[in-house]
Amino acid sequence: MALLEVNNLSVRYEPKLHRPLTAVDDVSFSIAEGEFVGLIGESGSGKSTLANALLRLTERPARISGGSIAFDGRDLVTMNEDELRPYRWRDISTVFQSSMNALNPVVRVIDQFRDAIELHSDLRGDAVVDRVKQLFGMVMIEEKFITAYPHELSGGMKQRVNLALALANKPRFVLLDEPTTGLDVVVQRSILEAVRTLQAEQHFAVLFISHDMGTVLDLSDRILVMYAGRIVEEHDSADLMRNPLHPYSKGLMGSYGDPRAQTVRITYVPGRPPDLSAELTGCRFAPRCPERIERCLSVDPELLPLDGARVACHVAQLQAHPEPGVTVPPRSPAFAGPEFVKSDDESKQALAQEAFVSVDGVSKVFRTRNGMKFADFTAIDDVSFDLRRGAVTALVGQSGSGKSTLARMITGVEKPTSGTITFHSLDGEALEVGGMRSGALRDYRKRVQMVFQDPYSSLNPTKTLGYILSRPLRNFGRLSGAELTKRVDELLEIVALTPASRFRNRYAYELSGGQRQRVVIARALASNPELIVADEPISSLDVSIRAEILELLHNLVQDSDVSILYITHDLLSARMLADEVIVLSGGRVVEQGRALQVIRDPQDAYTRKLLDAIPNPFADLDRPAAAGE
Amino acid sequence: MRYFLRRIGFFIATLWAAVTLNFIIPRLQPGDPAEIMFKKLQGKDAELDPAKIEALRAMLGDPAGANLWDQYWNYLGSLARGDFGISYTYFPYEVKTVIGVALPWTLVLVGVTLIISFVVGTLLGAFAAWRRNSRFDSFVTLGSTFIGTLPSFWLALLILFAFGYVLGWFPTAGGYDASTPGWNGEFLADALYHSVLPASVLLITGPIGWILGMRNTMIMNLGEDYVRLARAKGVPDAQIALRYAARNALLPSITGLALALGSMLGGQILIEQVFDYPGLGRLTAQAIDNKDYPLLQALLLFTIVGVLVANLIADVLYGILDPRARKVTS
Repeated sequence: MALLEVNNLSVRYEPKLHRPLTAVDDVSFSIAEGEFVGLIGESGSGKSTLANALLRLTERPARISGGSIAFDGRDLVTMNEDELRPYRWRDISTVFQSSMNALNPVVRVIDQFRDAIELHSDLRGDAVVDRVKQLFGMVMIEEKFITAYPHELSGGMKQRVNLALALANKPRFVLLDEPTTGLDVVVQRSILEAVRTLQAEQHFAVLFISHDMGTVLDLSDRILVMYAGRIVEEHDSADLMRNPLHPYSKGLMGSYGDPRAQTVRITYVPGRPPDLSAELTGCRFAPRCPERIERCLSVDPELLPLDGARVACHVAQLQAHPEPGVTVPPRSPAFAGPEFVKSDDESKQALAQEAFVSVDGVSKVFRTRNGMKFADFTAIDDVSFDLRRGAVTALVGQSGSGKSTLARMITGVEKPTSGTITFHSLDGEALEVGGMRSGALRDYRKRVQMVFQDPYSSLNPTKTLGYILSRPLRNFGRLSGAELTKRVDELLEIVALTPASRFRNRYAYELSGGQRQRVVIARALASNPELIVADEPISSLDVSIRAEILELLHNLVQDSDVSILYITHDLLSARMLADEVIVLSGGRVVEQGRALQVIRDPQDAYTRKLLDAIPNPFADLDRPAAAGE
Repeated sequence: MRYFLRRIGFFIATLWAAVTLNFIIPRLQPGDPAEIMFKKLQGKDAELDPAKIEALRAMLGDPAGANLWDQYWNYLGSLARGDFGISYTYFPYEVKTVIGVALPWTLVLVGVTLIISFVVGTLLGAFAAWRRNSRFDSFVTLGSTFIGTLPSFWLALLILFAFGYVLGWFPTAGGYDASTPGWNGEFLADALYHSVLPASVLLITGPIGWILGMRNTMIMNLGEDYVRLARAKGVPDAQIALRYAARNALLPSITGLALALGSMLGGQILIEQVFDYPGLGRLTAQAIDNKDYPLLQALLLFTIVGVLVANLIADVLYGILDPRARKVTS
């Protein structure tokens, strides 16, 4: 008997002001004792709703509307809170998303362990303290921190403490809900290592929920792929990588390329998930599916066994068991959708271009005051590099490496303490960025534009897209009337929001994350800039659409004179987009070179550490989609 | 420890600044501050009454002829002695005596009702948040929003009219009847009897702010991950409500309470006026009416000091309740 058996589970949201929707729809799966199962899905796929339901933490307006969750043979759904309590944290525990709020900020860490332990065991007094010390040892945090308050711990430490807390009562099942999202790659790596080791030692069963394919594949024995409230594929990890069955899984797999290849190809899934509150017929993925056949539009596919896995796809089933009279595309592990290609030759060409921004011996020292004492903090330490016209340069580093400070100096927001930044504009002027006054700076901003990380907060929610795009055109270009409308439409078309007439009068909240980021890019393009500084433009987007934005940026560089400074913590995406990579650590450039060169043959120990931190489940797998030339 | 020392340091610096401003501002005006002040208050053509000017001078620490530095020291000295000069309204009583008489009335009436309001309001708010969208919640929230829109003096007039004049159950004015104030049962019972109406107004309007504030912060706190985690831990509901949600939601209310206690020294001007209650509020109103400058300035200083002390208490309490505040920002 499986440890956890979920049967036909459905969770419905019934808010007062909106149409009701079924966020988790008829989901069935099981997890055996000691098994490590991954659950992948985009935001909005229902994975967190499912997590809450498994923990019986569903709150109004959501409710479990059907099905059962059998733990050890007993149904958790029908239990009341008192019957449930003995299971909580003794048998079933959890680590929430790495939000910094899972620990009560006004209570010492040890006391938060104490109530978890005392509620569910006979340990008291010093025995509890010993147990907490032991747990801290497991996650490799010094014992002295047991009496700390949460705010005295770093983000990575907090998440380790959360992990230790989850293991406090030797649970049989631990639910990890995006445990490392929002943490630095290197920190993320170390936490997942801890999870892996502890799971191997203690044999608790895990359901690991994430949108990050790489980490899930790396750790799990078996994967559940969730789309629009349904499980569309269940498959052993190793086999899923080689032979994904559902086109959506193929799309997700395709979003990982091998960064070491001469030419990287990654696919992306166009479109967006369906609105679950609307009437749905046929397969929910059909509108985005390149392999769909007529049946997909009318008949809802069931999750049926196939080749030792389970898949909810007509085409996959028909490929294995052909039916006379129905033609399906031939079976392929690759996603037959749009693809983004970046070759090393492009980089070589781009690096032959003339340099137009020179950063020369730049340092930035911040002075902080504490009472009467001053402390100097060197954020940027004697950094020099060039940006080339028509090239993408990636500035890579962990948080705190100084990459954002550097970007702010290049955009003129911050002034260097020493050194110069020179901008050679297209009309032949050489501008000294650090020495500019407000008038010159305003003019300079026309040439250098920013794209921010979060497209959700960088667009005014009360204005139409047409208005948002017309602002910079009025300010910088002094356009008005019909000319203005024409240019707005052009911008929308450049970022592929077509037809423009359909988007002009819409609001940002009606768009998906990818579409919003397109609007942000269009706004940056409005002043015809020569340089776009893009600060983590894809990190808040779903994996399946990241490549879409990368491709858009890539095409911009190819088709126009604009250059991009791409700021990221992710070497993988830097390789996809950038021609040149500059690795920053502790405010210094530790490595600089052609993107592929840096990835293939990193010289600096820090670069190697960053590279190692990238989960690479495909490392020893010969995959046609990622193999390159 | 460092945090608390810093807070006390800030307190002393602010107090000094407030006291000094109180000294400097009248002197920034050209001419003899006492005469100008007097003219302003009494009208341009008023006859200069030397006694009143002298009273003003004394209040300002300004014996004619002394230089500014000596004046300042005199002023600080008289403040330290509690010497604020002589009140016009209650001539020949000293300001400090007048305030001393009014102070206990306000302290007891406003202080007691404030603390009751805080406790009741916070509990109701916490309970409404815990049972949010229940009937209890709707009743409490709607009810307090409704009462909150009514001006408190209007409510006071209504109550005074109904229970004082129409029904005649309670006295309509004053803090006590002709009997002499003193610590005897008869007087205390009399004072209590007189305070019923003003206290009831304060108890009706008082808790509203605490209810709504507590309810809103607590609802926000209930959505926090640590509350969700506590539920996943199997912590009993009552403990989640008190130790996790209410404990954190209480923090902003504590600051609010300390500030309210501080400004309490200003009295409840409107309510005390309506009920003709002999506290600091009525005294302030009288001082304004009679242009009793020494009294007014002393009351002002009193309120400033009250708010500052309350702020200090709030900071110290906050430091104890919220470990994050203790961290000295570097």
